Amino acid sequence: MNVFEYLSRNRIEFLELTAQHLLLVGISTGIAILVGVPLGILLTRRPRLSPSVLGIANVFQTIPSLALFGFLIPLPFIGGVGARTAIVALVLYALLPIIRNTFAGIQSVDPAIREAGRGMGMTDRQLLFMVEVPLAFGVILAGIRIATVIGVGVATIAAAIGAGGLGVYIFRGVAMVDNTLILAGALPAALIALTADLALGRLERHVAPVPPRQLAELRPA
Amino acid sequence: MKQLLAGLAIAFAAISGCDILGGDRIVVASKNFTEQTILAELVAQQIERRTGLRVERRFFLGGTFVCHRAITAGEVDIYVEYTGTALTAILERPPLQDPSAVFDTVASEYASRFALTWGKPLGFNNTFAILIRGADARRLGIETISQAAAHTAGWRAGFGYEFVAREDGFPGLAETYGLAFAETPRTMDLGLTYRALADGQVDLIAGNSTDGLIAALDLFQLEDDRQYFPPYEAAPVIRQELLERHPEVAAALDRLAASIDDAEMRRLNFLVDVEHRDVALVVREWLEDNEP
Amino acid sequence: MTQTNTPIVEFKDVSLHLGNAQPILTGLSFDVRSAEILVLLGRSGSGKTTTLKLINRLLLPSAGQVCVEGRATTDQDPVRLRRRIGYVIQEIGLFPHFTVAENIAVVPTLEGWDRERKRERSAELLELVGLEAEVFARRYPSELSGGQRQRVGLARALAADPPLLLLDEPFGALDPLTRLELQRELRQLQARLAKTMVFVTHDVREGLFLASRIALLHDGRLAFIGTPAEFVQSDRPECRAFVEALAETEVRGDPKAGDAR
Repeated sequence: MNVFEYLSRNRIEFLELTAQHLLLVGISTGIAILVGVPLGILLTRRPRLSPSVLGIANVFQTIPSLALFGFLIPLPFIGGVGARTAIVALVLYALLPIIRNTFAGIQSVDPAIREAGRGMGMTDRQLLFMVEVPLAFGVILAGIRIATVIGVGVATIAAAIGAGGLGVYIFRGVAMVDNTLILAGALPAALIALTADLALGRLERHVAPVPPRQLAELRPA
Repeated sequence: MKQLLAGLAIAFAAISGCDILGGDRIVVASKNFTEQTILAELVAQQIERRTGLRVERRFFLGGTFVCHRAITAGEVDIYVEYTGTALTAILERPPLQDPSAVFDTVASEYASRFALTWGKPLGFNNTFAILIRGADARRLGIETISQAAAHTAGWRAGFGYEFVAREDGFPGLAETYGLAFAETPRTMDLGLTYRALADGQVDLIAGNSTDGLIAALDLFQLEDDRQYFPPYEAAPVIRQELLERHPEVAAALDRLAASIDDAEMRRLNFLVDVEHRDVALVVREWLEDNEP
Repeated sequence: MTQTNTPIVEFKDVSLHLGNAQPILTGLSFDVRSAEILVLLGRSGSGKTTTLKLINRLLLPSAGQVCVEGRATTDQDPVRLRRRIGYVIQEIGLFPHFTVAENIAVVPTLEGWDRERKRERSAELLELVGLEAEVFARRYPSELSGGQRQRVGLARALAADPPLLLLDEPFGALDPLTRLELQRELRQLQARLAKTMVFVTHDVREGLFLASRIALLHDGRLAFIGTPAEFVQSDRPECRAFVEALAETEVRGDPKAGDAR
């Protein structure tokens, strides 16, 4: 039987696994945004911290995902098998693109704009929220988009530690040497990743107030 | 440039690791849990010391179906299988309860369908162990799966990927005993199910009856009072082609027949799983002690 | 035009150095009088921009005091201080995601003006700097020419009606014709509004044209302060250097010399 037949025959399980998958990605990306964006903003205020913070986030990205899950399992509080451990690992994976893009996006704002703002009597917070963040928003969103797409992929591995999600089909398919089963997990996961990429990409274009090219042209000739 | 290509070609051939370079190598595989690695190592060392042939090990190859696929494709020569698994999961026959009947059936089918020969059983039965925490068993005063069925509505189950999908696995078990859990059973790597049970994240798992962790984690094995599971006698499965080339392998492995009982297998598992001793050393010691 | 006697800005023996390096400013003492345009003239690196930034507390002195409206900058809240000072820089720094009207109304927005008042003020200022309000209010900076942007920059600096304006080579990046235009308009504006201005430039013609008084900075020290006429007639070598450079370009018929003053 082909993939579609399998999925329609096992509709309920499929919907359950898809929901689990979306929850894993949604919750972890949400947490990563709540932690990563403020951290990225902080780095623009204290640039000397940036090599170490970005370095640490980078280390997590380079650890192979299954290994990271394995490391986390024995830890108290955040460990154990299941969704919670998976979410911790997924948050760590999502942090680098979000922090880095927030940092780079705000840093790339024309210094003349910052100087004019400060000279006019804007407080640091006003400068941040009225000027820097709106101008950097497109780049920040790009970081979120990257993190989300990565998250959908890594979440398939979470099935190995009992976190559920579409990876369950993939692992089951590998164990049973059943390609239909593998595809039943892989295809929907790929589709979710693609959809997220397209949707967030569209949002980026809609929201970015000034395309980066134009920012450079604003300097008087 | 030509040297680079030549080098790449040689490297590729070496990596494919095959008969191009002379195939008097025997490949022994194991599934992805501890007992299998012990048995595979035992088979390997026994062949080496009795016949002097070189043996290559490929441990943690995968689950039942991966190993079966590998041996029928000729990628591996020997692995240890369980008669009940072969009967229900691979041959997809209805389960039988008599061990000899099961053995005879699988032996003749494997020979005719797959050109695979079954060696003599090693002497123990590793059946699926339906496990709950010892504390729960004592508190609720239950000893059989039927008794447990009354409580499962409030429990969560955790299984490996194979058990959930096999005919002799969860679907049949649930039907036979009328088991219904609070939510769909969670699936994860088989080894992790023990930890999940001990940590309280699930309440019932399907482990292996000879596992060393059962005693170590104070887990309780529920009795299969309705005799749902067939016998699972462990025995080596060997490619006929190998035996034709090297008949001495059969003789070497026959000497292992009935040499390990349930308790002994559990002890060996314990040494590796709980005391974290090296598999090769444990096997070597056992061979020195028992001289099969 | 009423001129009071209390200086709007006073520099009292101000020095500034960064770390152990060569001091940027040494012993600077001068004042800026109400309703005058004080031009800070000097070569690149003479410390003019630094001096300007000490006034709105973007920098702090290492020694001495900078007083604005009678109080030392170190005793004032920097944000409140800067809101009372208009700041115009060479790169302009308009916010690309705000319309022209929104850019002009930044300080009023920070000060909490209501929408109607802001709209009126933006329209008023656009007319003041020579831009038609209906046409330009809703445009974005990317749609404007360099000269138009700097006019908006000026309007922005005037929005909350600050008593003091600081301008750091505001026309330096514009073409000569636009530059001339804006210089003329600035002088007219100043005459109408009686604002106090401190204007930094290295262009001596621009300085002579705009200044009520010129302060010449040389290597971080005040080399001269006086009217344009006094500057041109001064014997001081630093002044002479500038004047001679000016004469030379005119004698050679250099197109950059432009039309005669």
